[in-house]
Amino acid sequence: MVLKSPLHKVHEKIGAKFTEFAGHMMPLYYKSIKEEHLTVRKSVGLFDVSHMSNLWITGKEAEKLISFTTVEDASRIKDGMSQYTVILREDGTVIDDTIFMHLGDKYMMIPNAGMNKIVNEWLNEQAEKHDICASAEDVSRDYVILAVQGPKSRDTLQKLTNVDLKTVGFFQCRYIDIAGVNCIISHTGYTGELGFELQVSPTALAEDLFYKILDAGEEYGIQPIGLGARDTLRLEKGFILAGNEFEGGRTPLEATLGWTINWDHEFIGKKPLLRQKEKGDYERLTCLLCIDRGIPRHGCEIQKNGVKIGRVTSGTLSPCLNKGIAMGYCQPDYREKDTVLDIIIRGKPVKAKVVKPPFVSKDWLKTKLGNI
Amino acid sequence: MSAEVKEDLKYTDTHEWVRIKGDLAQIGITDHAQSELTDIVFVELPNMGKEIKKGEELCVVESVKSVSEIYAPVSGRITNVNKKLEETPEVINESPYEEGWIAEIEIKDKSELDSLLDAEAYKRII
Repeated sequence: MVLKSPLHKVHEKIGAKFTEFAGHMMPLYYKSIKEEHLTVRKSVGLFDVSHMSNLWITGKEAEKLISFTTVEDASRIKDGMSQYTVILREDGTVIDDTIFMHLGDKYMMIPNAGMNKIVNEWLNEQAEKHDICASAEDVSRDYVILAVQGPKSRDTLQKLTNVDLKTVGFFQCRYIDIAGVNCIISHTGYTGELGFELQVSPTALAEDLFYKILDAGEEYGIQPIGLGARDTLRLEKGFILAGNEFEGGRTPLEATLGWTINWDHEFIGKKPLLRQKEKGDYERLTCLLCIDRGIPRHGCEIQKNGVKIGRVTSGTLSPCLNKGIAMGYCQPDYREKDTVLDIIIRGKPVKAKVVKPPFVSKDWLKTKLGNI
Repeated sequence: MSAEVKEDLKYTDTHEWVRIKGDLAQIGITDHAQSELTDIVFVELPNMGKEIKKGEELCVVESVKSVSEIYAPVSGRITNVNKKLEETPEVINESPYEEGWIAEIEIKDKSELDSLLDAEAYKRII
């Protein structure tokens, strides 16, 4: 069964073209992916990301359950903080990446679209197996998730609340009234821009809030943004997409998420990760910027001197750079900055060079788009 | 907003248009096709001089999200390609029937033209 967002009718009304993503029918774009992308980079956009999952993690050992099942030591994450982390299998490969929010006596975790059941079951299984007094509850269908992203996102939302949003720091979260609707706000996002994510429940309140945010952002040229631009926005910043970059079983070291690992605590998957870290000869996610014309896509082979050395996991045309950009796993020997590799697109080699993410930096945006 | 269909052109059910200029067939994609694809960001043009059969892949047009094959509406040799599309593929969005033409084929078998759709028939399928 394909699920629809509680805001589906609103999207229909404002002209969305839909796509199916991880079992959810969501807006792909409203008018144009390129235009929506640039609107978020330059000003502000509003996303419905209700396809993402919501779990409550409760119980007196909720912190322990999170620490044990993620690479994060949750005792570091104080009340009012959000944290990005990954959940691993016993063999060290990633089940999912997620953000969890510490909200007083409980945590809300946001697994990816379609991952609610898997992550929920996994957490409850581990709690039971290891006698941890905590449990997870899947409440994905009780929440609409709105993301307001772009340099004007704070100015837009500030009009709808009495709380000074400058007091909600990067990766902080709290309960807040926005346009009279009590929601959870988190200063996080998937665009690399200033932005906020709102968890709205009950979902019946979301339609009114959606329109109020559009009204508040009107003076900045706010637009509703679909999943198409969400994907190009994240890729320009070098952010991974679970379904693409973890496909086939990848460890956080391979996915260049080593920085998320807190080695000073016990967690599922730690031992194989330590072994991999010591050996060091594993493939790593590599960012490639096309020199030749061409748009790399998921599945394209990466070659050096005609020999396969990797495969593209995500690729697109960067709307900011107007060049092909890609991520893929490559052998460590080929990851040196400025190394020139070939991406095979429809049988033809397209030259690309290794770059360090992000593809589009804050400096670039400042110079080219005049962003502050 | 409905898509424009030019009365003087022939069409395929895969959304290519054909402008017959004597022995030459000028080819592009329809207004309907460009609006469905949205922002066209890349065109991989066919090789000049190549012989192509009706229904074979002529070239590839890409939007940000998708890759679409364009099929040859007639058989023949490719005599001209619209080089301008390499630098400014968005011309297909702006002017699908004029500036945004893709290629010209020297028609090998004029009887193939009979199987193309006229404007009325094409309007019915979009």
